[in-house]
Amino acid sequence: MKPIHFLFLSILLFGIISCNSRSNEQTFDSSKLPRASEAEIEKLVEDFIMVEDGGTIKVEPLFYDLKTQLILDNKKNIKIQGAGMEQSVISFRNLKTGGEGVKIVGENILIENLSIEDAPGDGVKAQHTDGITFRKINVTWTNGDKSKNGTYAIYPVQCKNVVIDGCIASHSKDAGIYVGQSENIIVKNSLAFGNVAGIEIENCDNAEVFNNVARDNAGGILVFNLPGLPKSDGRSTKIYNNEVIDNNHENFATPLGDGANGNTVTMIPPGSGIVLLAAKEVEIYNNKILRNKTTGLAIASYQITGFPSEAPNWSPYTHDIYIHDNTYERTMKIPDLTRELGQLISVYNAHGKAKTQDIVYDGIWDTNLSSDIETNPMKICIQEAGMEDLHFTRFYLMDGEDKIESFKDYKPFQGCQVSVSTDVSGLASL
Amino acid sequence: MMINFRNITFLVASIAFMSSCESKKENQVTQELPIQTEAELADGKFPYRNLSTYGFFEGEIKNLSPNASLIPYQPASSLFTDYALKSRFIQLPENQEALIAENNLQLPQGTILIKNFYYPADFSSPKENIRIIETRLLIHSEKGWEAFPYIWNEDQTEAVLKVVGGEKEVKFKNLKGEDQVINYLIPNKNQCKTCHNQSEELAPIGVKIKHLNYDYDFPSGRQNQMAYWAEHGKLEGFLGKENHPSMINYEDKTQALEDRAMAYLDINCSHCHQAKGPASTSGLFLEYNQKEPMKLGVMKTPVAAGNGAGAFDYDILPGKADESILTYRMNSTEVGIAMPELGRTTIHEEGVALIREWINSMKK
Repeated sequence: MKPIHFLFLSILLFGIISCNSRSNEQTFDSSKLPRASEAEIEKLVEDFIMVEDGGTIKVEPLFYDLKTQLILDNKKNIKIQGAGMEQSVISFRNLKTGGEGVKIVGENILIENLSIEDAPGDGVKAQHTDGITFRKINVTWTNGDKSKNGTYAIYPVQCKNVVIDGCIASHSKDAGIYVGQSENIIVKNSLAFGNVAGIEIENCDNAEVFNNVARDNAGGILVFNLPGLPKSDGRSTKIYNNEVIDNNHENFATPLGDGANGNTVTMIPPGSGIVLLAAKEVEIYNNKILRNKTTGLAIASYQITGFPSEAPNWSPYTHDIYIHDNTYERTMKIPDLTRELGQLISVYNAHGKAKTQDIVYDGIWDTNLSSDIETNPMKICIQEAGMEDLHFTRFYLMDGEDKIESFKDYKPFQGCQVSVSTDVSGLASL
Repeated sequence: MMINFRNITFLVASIAFMSSCESKKENQVTQELPIQTEAELADGKFPYRNLSTYGFFEGEIKNLSPNASLIPYQPASSLFTDYALKSRFIQLPENQEALIAENNLQLPQGTILIKNFYYPADFSSPKENIRIIETRLLIHSEKGWEAFPYIWNEDQTEAVLKVVGGEKEVKFKNLKGEDQVINYLIPNKNQCKTCHNQSEELAPIGVKIKHLNYDYDFPSGRQNQMAYWAEHGKLEGFLGKENHPSMINYEDKTQALEDRAMAYLDINCSHCHQAKGPASTSGLFLEYNQKEPMKLGVMKTPVAAGNGAGAFDYDILPGKADESILTYRMNSTEVGIAMPELGRTTIHEEGVALIREWINSMKK
């Protein structure tokens, strides 16, 4: 079967019903690989347990059917090396207990050249690790029914000095590449597709996301700050030279037909390119933001979720944002109607019902700073070429559902700049 | 240079591949372990291959009759592990004692914690027809605490160290007289630390003052465990029960509902769900003395719960246990949803009932 037919068929079957696309694309077929014997599987589990500082764990060019987790515990200078994404495959399809397939804790750890499939929770999680590099790893789910897929594919959390380079993350029920509560981060040269969220930077400091492709997700690239976490608020993120395209996949974070739940990602309307939520100091430039049917870019404050918006050392507002020199292309598709934010954009945007937007701003601002949003109190700065031809909408939502208004006028947000400083030069050696 | 992923040719997994994956063998049960017949030398270099080499038990090893150097212990509330019964012992090194400093129980190097997991054939006769599944040792060496899982053979004559863990089918009759079959999962060595973890150092869970500052039925009579240790020259710094933190037994229905619920959450969840535990990422902190509603999960949205959130918005929605993520995850056995993530393949009905009652009693 040629892939194009399969995709076409799936669009035909599901696309029409849900008005959102759906993908089961795999970059290769792991079922053809020779299978690791019980002894070879046990050796891999043992190697993770017994490896000593400075050691290398080899993952042979085999298909490993794991029934237990692979956990690297508090080791230093370890390399976990496969023979290639399409050669060394670790499957957690038969894992019966444990929150993730591979778990890494330590210092200066590299994992490269392998694939991880079908973990019931997260694919690979690194926590409390200073110096963690994911290079050329592919993390995916092969279930036909994506509702069974796991949460995050590549998941560093509470880490320092994180590099994600040349990786592929697909079909996760939350974010494919998710960096949480970490500092000093590079995500580059990677591909995220078929996920609910492609790449997500959450409650992080000092991150650069560049040269990636985020396509065919419900949302392409997200920068969030969520309340009530040990790392309470993050700042300083640059997103540049990425392709954020065709992110029109259905949001399968909850079952089809079910609405959003308390997981913020369940609210992302399919057709979202880049989404900022309670984000601080973000610069977005030189990206190709193409054919995302709801909006290319969304700037939102946490209040829009409807959840309690107070937490210590944390602000619900998005502020200090600099958007410039990106390329946009709209589609003729109908924007999302399955999520409230999609409905808001589809129905209330300033350019006419069911029109795709390039940039939307929820217009929620801190009235302690100014009584008038036209003074741009949250410092949202937009300098795009051909701004007059873009579909820009600023909403007025401060009085709730009864009085929703929208405006095309982008001028209050022009003629300003925000200086976002990131420094990831310390990661060059990783 | 940027990798151009768009040019990678891809294959769509065929239907045949999907179904071949689905039909993989399931329920593979760990094979009987070969027992090495030659005796192992008790040379003091831990870990030993065989449990018997430690010489913890007198007579037939399966009777778990402790030698004089072991002290039995039991935390006030117990962690649920698929209804397994547990017999626990601590061995403090000769002529050394534990120390209480600032309400931390410090155990000397050389201390060994011994926890045996077993099932009676019929829970209404919990002391008869016992089958021991595994024995976990926590050994306090110069490198800190280390965990070692030993798996028992079917003859119950030996248990052998198995760092990669395993799986055993267990059958028993529960207290309602119903036949139960469970696939008991023995964690691999590093999975132990999923729970036994404080700031990424391996740490005991039940052997803390708040859990052991509680009575136990010693052969010599019922007594506070910390007082017993002190009386036997094994503990310094104990100032009497009232002067140290103590927890209750969540099964004790004479206690206040809130205290029982908090005791349950503490022993079952707080080893991960605390600021120094692996689940600190969630911001959900479930220690016995937690007073901040948001940290306790009240009207708190999840962070990385994935499927675990079900259809719900908050960890705890006061007054509505059936719309709270906490009970949803306790009430599931599906990996990815079920909490705790390890050590449970069945639902703890009594635990779920307690937490439900507590959440339903909260003011809306």
